[in-house]
Amino acid sequence: MGGRGMEAEALLEALREVCPDYAFEARTMPVNEIVIDVPARCLEEAVAVLRETFSVHHLSTITAQDLGKELELLYHFWHEGGITLRVGLPPNDARVPTLTGALPGADFYEREAGEMLGVTFEGHPGPEHLLLPEDWESEPPLLDGDRAGGDEA
Amino acid sequence: MTRVTIPVGPQHPLLKEPLSFRLTAEGERVVDAAMRLGYVHRGVERLVQDRSYIQNLYLLERVCGICSHVHTTTYCQGVEALLELEVPARGLALRTLTCELERIHSHLLWLGVLAENIGFSTIFMYAWRDREIALDIMEDISGGRIAHAVNTIGGVRVDVEPEQIRLAQHRLDELQSQVDELVNVVKHEGTLRVRTEGVARASLEQIRGHCAVGPIARAAGLDRDLRRDAPYAYYDRLFFNVITAQDGDVWAATWVRVLEILESLSMCRQILDDLPSGEVATRAPRRVPEGEVVSRAEAPRGEVVYYIRSDGSDKPARIKIRTPTLPALSLVQHQLKDINMADVPAVISGVDLCIACADR
Repeated sequence: MGGRGMEAEALLEALREVCPDYAFEARTMPVNEIVIDVPARCLEEAVAVLRETFSVHHLSTITAQDLGKELELLYHFWHEGGITLRVGLPPNDARVPTLTGALPGADFYEREAGEMLGVTFEGHPGPEHLLLPEDWESEPPLLDGDRAGGDEA
Repeated sequence: MTRVTIPVGPQHPLLKEPLSFRLTAEGERVVDAAMRLGYVHRGVERLVQDRSYIQNLYLLERVCGICSHVHTTTYCQGVEALLELEVPARGLALRTLTCELERIHSHLLWLGVLAENIGFSTIFMYAWRDREIALDIMEDISGGRIAHAVNTIGGVRVDVEPEQIRLAQHRLDELQSQVDELVNVVKHEGTLRVRTEGVARASLEQIRGHCAVGPIARAAGLDRDLRRDAPYAYYDRLFFNVITAQDGDVWAATWVRVLEILESLSMCRQILDDLPSGEVATRAPRRVPEGEVVSRAEAPRGEVVYYIRSDGSDKPARIKIRTPTLPALSLVQHQLKDINMADVPAVISGVDLCIACADR
């Protein structure tokens, strides 16, 4: 884990350069994942740093979940170990820039996160439903029942 | 020239599972392609939240009808990491044995599907005949040919007797000679080469851009395999080669997969020849401490990712599943542009799609 600790330090250093007004911190998650919080406004720059400076090209997926206080997007990257960028979003204004310009592979993950949690990916070229029917009118299925008004409502 | 839109799917002889393509053709040339997913969306990620960790084993095994075991492997690994459980060596060995048998069966199944789709029925029949041997071994070990229910949190549910080991070794010898012959056919058979060489060629750049994984990525020269790069289960104790190629076309992917079958056969033998003794599982508590984990494993089609978050109860608060077919579909949608209509079957079957996996 010593190697990964140094990797996390170098990453933080580079992230502070592109987004100087944010206090970046790293933590770990099993099974061997570095987790770094990134504000939505710096996401594109952070991903560019990962790709250009650290050769992290592989976006495994995006996990979208409702934590109550906020909605959370976890961008799971992989390069000789897992690196997760965590973006917290306010539930009433969940917007984040799209990554599809640099990473066409983000297309499906963003569409799924969008329909399942109601997050808007700004600049996405075709934000239609990926898995849900085109005429789906209910709340996004992964939003907490309370917030969405519940299935019974 | 007039443009014609041709729907392929959701029900179509070319597709084994429901998926819809809309191909726009100018004469014999496909100029544009759109895709629609979700015909077998079952909402597994929502369903898991209402089931206990043990019940979820049986649900998650059914995410995929081909690589069912790797899903429970990835899930169990994640939950075991949250519980800080040490799985006994025999349990890990048997878990890995099933993973590799599953890879053999999946790759042979795929070879048959590709062969049938390009009109080469002989290979289809040989490949599926040989696949039966792998299924027989799994049936003998677990009782199930496709859904094995081998994994449990803390190890595996089945043990093998010396008699079963001997039978499996004998069957592996039989399978080896059949696969050797298949490798020969794939290498020298002109018909297969003509229909696959240069078809759906993916550059390393495209593979990276679409985040593709598994044999299609390795066929384009991306040297990544989680069994070697992030060894899990029993892989750190096995000797094997990661197979790569350079061309990135359907033929290269075929070559990578048939050689991977040989590697898997060798791994199965290594496990059976030197199976550690002892327990196959440790007892796992029902409740899982609060925490989150990202678990990865190398399925036959490439990296499977599970994100699991526990809130301290006996049910997971969130499980995110990413199967290798999703990035493969992203690549295929791109590859279906500017090709000959006659190459569509080779392009679609070349990436080895598993739609139920992708839809969840």
